[in-house]
Amino acid sequence: MTEASPAPGADLSSRPRRTHPLTPVAEVGDKLPGILVAVFVLGRDLPGGIVVRLGLALLVIAVGVGVGWLVWWRRSFWFDADGDLRIASGVLTRNERRVQLSRLQSVEVSRPFLARLVGLAEVKPEVAGGEKAHVRIAYLSEPDAVALRAELLARSAGVRGTGPVAVEAPERVLVRVPARDLAVSTLLNENLILGALVGVVTIVVAVVSGQSASLVGILLAGGIPGIGLVNGFLAYYDFSVAESPDGLRLRSGLLSTRAQTVPPGRVQAVRVAQPLLWRRSGWYRVSLNVAGSNHREGEESGVVLLPEAPYPVVRQLLSRVLPGVDIDAVDLVPAPRSARFRAPWQQPRLACGLDDEVFVSRGGRLVRRVDIVPHARTQSVRVTQGPWQRWLGLASVHVDSTPGPVKPAARQRAAADARAVAEAQVAHAAAARLGFRPERWARSNPPATETP
Amino acid sequence: MGDAFAPPDAGWVRVSPRLALARRIVVLPVVLVVVAVVTVALALAVAPWAAVLAGLVGLLAAGWAWWLIGRQVAAVGYAERGDDLLVTRGIMFRELVVVPFGRMQLVDVRAGPLDRRFGIARLQLHTAAATTDASVPGLPTAEAQRLRDHLAALGEARSAGL
Repeated sequence: MTEASPAPGADLSSRPRRTHPLTPVAEVGDKLPGILVAVFVLGRDLPGGIVVRLGLALLVIAVGVGVGWLVWWRRSFWFDADGDLRIASGVLTRNERRVQLSRLQSVEVSRPFLARLVGLAEVKPEVAGGEKAHVRIAYLSEPDAVALRAELLARSAGVRGTGPVAVEAPERVLVRVPARDLAVSTLLNENLILGALVGVVTIVVAVVSGQSASLVGILLAGGIPGIGLVNGFLAYYDFSVAESPDGLRLRSGLLSTRAQTVPPGRVQAVRVAQPLLWRRSGWYRVSLNVAGSNHREGEESGVVLLPEAPYPVVRQLLSRVLPGVDIDAVDLVPAPRSARFRAPWQQPRLACGLDDEVFVSRGGRLVRRVDIVPHARTQSVRVTQGPWQRWLGLASVHVDSTPGPVKPAARQRAAADARAVAEAQVAHAAAARLGFRPERWARSNPPATETP
Repeated sequence: MGDAFAPPDAGWVRVSPRLALARRIVVLPVVLVVVAVVTVALALAVAPWAAVLAGLVGLLAAGWAWWLIGRQVAAVGYAERGDDLLVTRGIMFRELVVVPFGRMQLVDVRAGPLDRRFGIARLQLHTAAATTDASVPGLPTAEAQRLRDHLAALGEARSAGL
């Protein structure tokens, strides 16, 4: 597939296509701040004036674009006879990848800030199967990216056609997180408060001792959590959850935007968590384990379903993600009193329970959390016991899920019934595997509402 | 169901005692070298009695390691049930893993040079969860291969996607 014919705007078919011709420029643009810093800050001892440095920067950019253009020219993608996605790349060493769409776990369309300015977007299909499974098609024009996403999802769902499948499924917004709430919830962060306290203490110490060298301390204390918070706010700004036949569509972002589509039945586990400072306002954060979307560098692992929302909204969304499950109705059995000696803080909160659909575990004292894993998604079940636990007559039951933020476990159960809990979970999982029907996801259709 | 780690009805299948020998061969020379170095150093730098004491403690430690490895290997066991494979291990930190056949993505058999010398191999089960830590060390090679093929076939038959 060396002679790929670029066909921008043509139908998405089995013909190999290239990405958008501006791709090399956009890729270099992403690294522009780094290049400028390298040339002007690190290279400030170079002989010659500003002109030399400017020339150097231009040279680096030109070489970057040139190499990027070669890479772009040798890269193409198409759908093969089996309907799977193929990507051929490599300037000297050719490399061809096949993305098995039946194992598609989610699709993300993201628009990094600079690419967004010129109307480009990248498509990231996530396939189950470890870190090597990372696939990125960058950059496409925005309509092409959206069309490719629609085609990927349609083919993954089993729609096989020769013609273009560029019609995107209609969507309906379920939840929108108000910017004000997001800002307040971002500020209500233990690290930030802690950082501010440290800052105040440093200032007081500096004033009392008459030294002014503590500025660095203040910057470190306030700056590092601050950057994380600003990034979080920018990433989750205007967060919305929409429902479409393709699955749940999560959109967010202020400067860089992204839209993640999680097809029906791909949710492996759910965590509902409430940090200490959110308790008053009754907010929760919901995150998901989705196979394949783990371990992305520089990002929070897993999928955030809701960065911040009040409980009624959380419940409404959970009923979409886990149809037929009412987590409030699941009977939770608390951990025995002897667990105080193993987990003194958490003991009053530790509990687990199950119903016909899900296994639920509760824990966490400062950050309260509830983990939910559908029986049908149970990968394996483990019982563990350390020496101290054995002394107290305790054991923990772990329900293994795919990698992600959610690690469901019934910790510190009485050793006498830990095995019973585990065996019950194994039996429920076996029954659920036999009767699991993914199409159930689309069946529950309560009316859509927006958050006030 | 009193004991959290009670064997299933069919009982545990224990692994080959040759695993203990293989592990001792790896661990003991290290222990003995450390003991020797410490003893000589103490004899030269402090006093002969300190060296004798250290040597005795070291030998006790070596004996303890010998005994512990034996116990650990004896604690490893597995059992096949109708729908899943059970694996257990550990004395201090005990663990029991239940892996449904329908969830197995991959079954590996691995044997290092020492393992091959002793005719044993390690069977490793992989599910879509990284936390599933189901491996059975010290299986006789033939048994490991039989189990791998058997489990792979079962996994194929019962596969339930993710």
